[in-house]
Amino acid sequence: MANMAKIVGFCCNYTSQVSKDVLEREGVIGEGVEFRRLPCTGRLEIPMLLDAFTEGAEAVFVAGCRIEGCHNKSGSLRASKRVKYAKALLEELGIDGARLEMFFTKRGSTADIVDAVKVMEDRIKS
Amino acid sequence: MRKVAGEAGNFTVEILKEPRYIDEDKCTACGTCTMYCPRPVVDWYNERLEVTRAPHIDYAQAIPASYYIDAKACLRINHETCNLCAQTCTAGAIDFSQRPRTMELNVGSIVLTPGFGRIDDDILRRFGYGVYPDVVTSLEFERLTCASGPTEGHIVRPSDEKTPKKVAFLQCIGSRDESCGNGFCSTVCCMYAIKEASVAKEHEPDLDITLFFMDIRTMGKGFDAFREEAVKKYGFNIVRARVPKVEEVDGRLVLNYVEEDGTSKSDVFDMVVLSVGLSPPEDAEIISEKTGIELNQHSFCKTTQASPLSTTVDGVYVAGAFQGPKDIPESVTQASGVAANVSELLKEARGTRAVTVSYPDEDKALMEEEPRIGVFVCHCGVNIAGVVDVKAVRDYAGSLPNVVLYEDTLYSCSQDALKHIAERIRDERLNRVVIAACSPRTHEPLFQETLRSIGLNPALIEMANIRDQCAWVHAQEPEAATEKSKDLVRMAVAKARLLEPLQQPTVDVTPCALVIGGGASGMTAALSIADQGYKVVLVEREKELGGNLRRLGCTFDGEEAKKVLNSLITDVKRHKLIEVMISCEVKNVSGYIGNFTTTVEHNGKSELINHGVIVVATGGREYKPKGYLYGDSDRVLTQLELEARLSKGKSFLRNASRVVMIQCVGSRGEDMSHCSKICCTQAVKNALKLKEARPELDVFILYGDMRTYGLYEDMYREARLKGIKFIRFDADRRPEVVKKSRGLSVKVFDKIIGEELEIPASYVVLSVGISPAANEGLSQMLKAPLTKDGFFLEAHAKLRPVEVAVDGVYICGLSHGAKGLEESIAQAKAAASKAVIPLAKGKVSVAPIVSHVDEKKCIGCGICASLCPFSAIELIKVDKKRKARTITASCKGCGICASHCPTIAISMGGFTDEAIFAQIHAFGQGLEQGINEEN
Repeated sequence: MANMAKIVGFCCNYTSQVSKDVLEREGVIGEGVEFRRLPCTGRLEIPMLLDAFTEGAEAVFVAGCRIEGCHNKSGSLRASKRVKYAKALLEELGIDGARLEMFFTKRGSTADIVDAVKVMEDRIKS
Repeated sequence: MRKVAGEAGNFTVEILKEPRYIDEDKCTACGTCTMYCPRPVVDWYNERLEVTRAPHIDYAQAIPASYYIDAKACLRINHETCNLCAQTCTAGAIDFSQRPRTMELNVGSIVLTPGFGRIDDDILRRFGYGVYPDVVTSLEFERLTCASGPTEGHIVRPSDEKTPKKVAFLQCIGSRDESCGNGFCSTVCCMYAIKEASVAKEHEPDLDITLFFMDIRTMGKGFDAFREEAVKKYGFNIVRARVPKVEEVDGRLVLNYVEEDGTSKSDVFDMVVLSVGLSPPEDAEIISEKTGIELNQHSFCKTTQASPLSTTVDGVYVAGAFQGPKDIPESVTQASGVAANVSELLKEARGTRAVTVSYPDEDKALMEEEPRIGVFVCHCGVNIAGVVDVKAVRDYAGSLPNVVLYEDTLYSCSQDALKHIAERIRDERLNRVVIAACSPRTHEPLFQETLRSIGLNPALIEMANIRDQCAWVHAQEPEAATEKSKDLVRMAVAKARLLEPLQQPTVDVTPCALVIGGGASGMTAALSIADQGYKVVLVEREKELGGNLRRLGCTFDGEEAKKVLNSLITDVKRHKLIEVMISCEVKNVSGYIGNFTTTVEHNGKSELINHGVIVVATGGREYKPKGYLYGDSDRVLTQLELEARLSKGKSFLRNASRVVMIQCVGSRGEDMSHCSKICCTQAVKNALKLKEARPELDVFILYGDMRTYGLYEDMYREARLKGIKFIRFDADRRPEVVKKSRGLSVKVFDKIIGEELEIPASYVVLSVGISPAANEGLSQMLKAPLTKDGFFLEAHAKLRPVEVAVDGVYICGLSHGAKGLEESIAQAKAAASKAVIPLAKGKVSVAPIVSHVDEKKCIGCGICASLCPFSAIELIKVDKKRKARTITASCKGCGICASHCPTIAISMGGFTDEAIFAQIHAFGQGLEQGINEEN
């Protein structure tokens, strides 16, 4: 698939208000990143993660609230469990589980999201 | 201020004076002490961006122009060591024996002008200030853009001292923010952000600047035009969003914000400027405690709309930002106004402590003699002598024609030196003096005074500025600087030979003021002048006094407007010194400051009034709207019409369910380009009144920017809390009023939901703004120009806000520009204060440098009269021929007439053609000599 994002990041309403166009233009993040926004990472479903890979993503990450401070109490905890399960599925399919990661970020912190992107970029390269 | 006791007219104030450790009378501000001091201290004047030394002066224009020692940092004061500055000070001004001193002052009145306070660093930290180095406050940015600032005007990032590419301005930092305790609007930040951005762009044309506003509140006179021009010229990005915080990613600053239509955006900047607001002064509580004045809910001084300069304590007045956030013109206006208040209170004491200086008669015989010139060359400590060879310049002066005395002095401006110069002038019988030192702008009056004190005409001095023009600008080339000093001295001597004494005539002032216009401003001005003890003639065109105030329901602070009006009218009518002329119109004005004659017409009969000054308070008018179905439907009202209905009771609202108000009707780009400043607050005030009358009423306000500036922001917040709905529109897509079968509807495009709304309305209320009165006729009579919006143009927008270019004419109220009652009254007081100055002096002294027309050469063409910006030239008939004549009382000595006269009939006192040609010739002689030497 042409123009497909290399990295897909699932964020919630609370973890980031980032819009990728400007960050990409300014060179803060590399090209080929797509953010998909969820009302809460608790809304995340395993097929959504797998679909992202099917669509051609090389790496996928989820950025949820800090566990102790999730806006919806246990949303990010639920997400992390699903990410863990999906990692196992990926391994079964012969894909490196490290290509999927859960991040617990500070609310509204652009820096944390940018860091997450960088971690995933490094993993693609290695 | 430690303690206040007593009452209005007789206060005793205890003042503690901290030691400066530098004697103000001896200090020459040479700066040597700063140079030698080993102790660096933070430079607060430069917003902590630079360091200075313990002995320093805050800035070059500081008053007194004397250095002081920071006692906390000084080694001598704290550890009894060092003492370097005292040893290096050649003026002997450093005095460590100074101690704190308590003084007791007996005063009649107290004026509070402590200014505004800083926004706390803790609040700024939320926006990354103090966390990320490239987040700066607007005050710091102001210093960065200043040519005399720490970077000499280069805009650099604090982190790496590189020029940023992208800069963001965040508005409302520490203002309009209840979470930091400052619910009010700081009034000035929108405008200063535009100014700072413009200055930055002038210096760095490649800067990409984005400004984040909530509302753009540039409502002052001419401000909108300035902003629009700047945005167009410099291509600023204007974003309507409130940015919640600043983040740093990879050393760059990231802002995330939500746009008007709800989309989230991010942007990256190299530098972020926080437009910090104006807090009440930090010691507001202490001032309140010591003086007994009350503060308002935001800790500014408590005042009322009807008397904005009076505190709650008699005899204690307030002006400037302590009365509420305000800009320079407003502050200057209030400061002049407060002087009127004090002058009213203390009029009995006027002149009782005046000291008259008398001078010996001028020696006429000495002037008849051949020029005897004395040249004094100043070292200015090391300021001049460090670069220029002063002794060589002195000796060179001795070789020039007519020079009978030549000396050098260490500091010519010091008291000892002035005494010495006076003695030498007397002993040597000098009749011309040349001082080769610094700028005549700062020091000429001082030397002129010395001349007068020994009976020499003050016009007989010439200065050569060898400090600024030689020692300073050519500091790296001492030899060239010395040669140039010689040139300047030779030129000054050449001019001095032709200097002639000039007379300083005075004209008597007719002790009466004419106030044109009997509205709130006119009446306030008339009362103030009369209360200060001078006769006033108050001319009103209508059948009764009151003007626009008659139509107002209540003031912004809820006081009944009728009360204010009635008390003003009663006071005016009762005052013995005020003559009120009703149904009268001004037909002609002639004369000049001190001696005006005005023709006033009453029922077809003319009457002449002689007066010394004029206050113009002709007011403004409610704009008559076009469109919006105004006039077609009796349910479309203006705000004033609504107020009139409200004051008659709420019966007209019986069947009403919804009222829609539309802002900026006719203003800001419709018929009138200016912002009328008061309509937003007026709309909010009336909307709240409607809600009070019928709480279930649905009220909409459709607006461009809500400009409820200053403490009026409280009313806006209250309106929001009470459920009044606000919808913003763009100037190019204004609301429309349409007739429906069952009444009226207002169509407006709601930018938040991105759709056009149609709001059925029981009443539509138009905020129509203020249009100027028909000022053209009066403007021509007074020769006082109007702005392109049709209001009177002040002499200087910031520093002379109630004066016009013509002397003796003052403006106030709506004739000057759109404004509310509070500001009109403060301005009327200010105009009264300025108008009383010539009345109180009784004489107007004329500057000696005036133009003089040689009648023999004059051909009466009148070019000079048409060009004079001060209407100081009149054309008269001499033996049936037209001749120009200077009205010396009005002449400012600008020289425009002299430079345009086709027959060179006009000469300027002190700058005659002969003297200037002589000066130029003297310069040429130097060149000739140089060429000869080379050959």
